Amino acid sequence: MTPDCLSTTFAALADPTRRAILARLASGETSVTQLAKPFEISLPAVSKHLKVLERAGLIVRTRNAQWRPCQLDAGPLKGVAEWVEQYRKFWTESFDRLDDYLHKLQHKEKKHGDKQRNNN
Amino acid sequence: MSAPAFAPKAELTLTRTFDAPRDLVFEVWTDRKHLAQWWGPHGFTTKIREMDVRPGGAWRYAMRGPDGNDYPFEGVYVEVQEPERLVFDGTIHGSPEQRVWTEVTFAERAGKTEVTVRQLYSFESEITRTGARIGWTQQLDRLTEYLANL
Repeated sequence: MTPDCLSTTFAALADPTRRAILARLASGETSVTQLAKPFEISLPAVSKHLKVLERAGLIVRTRNAQWRPCQLDAGPLKGVAEWVEQYRKFWTESFDRLDDYLHKLQHKEKKHGDKQRNNN
Repeated sequence: MSAPAFAPKAELTLTRTFDAPRDLVFEVWTDRKHLAQWWGPHGFTTKIREMDVRPGGAWRYAMRGPDGNDYPFEGVYVEVQEPERLVFDGTIHGSPEQRVWTEVTFAERAGKTEVTVRQLYSFESEITRTGARIGWTQQLDRLTEYLANL
């Protein structure tokens, strides 16, 4: 996501009415009229909110004038970052253990080598 | 140069130099007796199920964490170029299950060995695979929080 995309999405979500609209759409696609019912604002005002959400790529208008949410992988966004950090931890710690292990191996070889030399 | 069959959603690259000759480092990565001694984060133990180090050979292990959770990996070796390169591809079962493609290169640096690991992740999830409906209220909170912290 470019910084501009992020601003647009964040701005779209910053409004509580728009968040409520999105939450309502989660339980099923619906029309502007139905969406406007719980709010004490005019239909044009609701339409404005829907346009903001649509421009932010969060909702989409179907052929029969219903609105539904886009498949925004909001969960995986945070999940990916967390999981990549888990993998980074896996490797840095495995490398630590590998470093120790290589030292042990070579130290053993050296000791064994010294012993053999002393026995000759 | 090979690349994974899936479209990667994330990538990680790390490099470290080890004070050991390259042949030994490569051996320690490809011999099952050695690998089980160091593979995994602190507190984890690795049980190797199968390790057939050649192109197409199976690579299977199970990693157990200190909390008792198991992380099995099932994969294959894609490329084996002794002593400079290894590529393997497979799936990690756990939470979530996902495909991981790994490329390891071993470069000699004046008697030491520089190891570079590059991993690509599929990050497929139930949501993207089955198109299941997303719980918007929860996702919205998480997205808002995530964006606020960027």
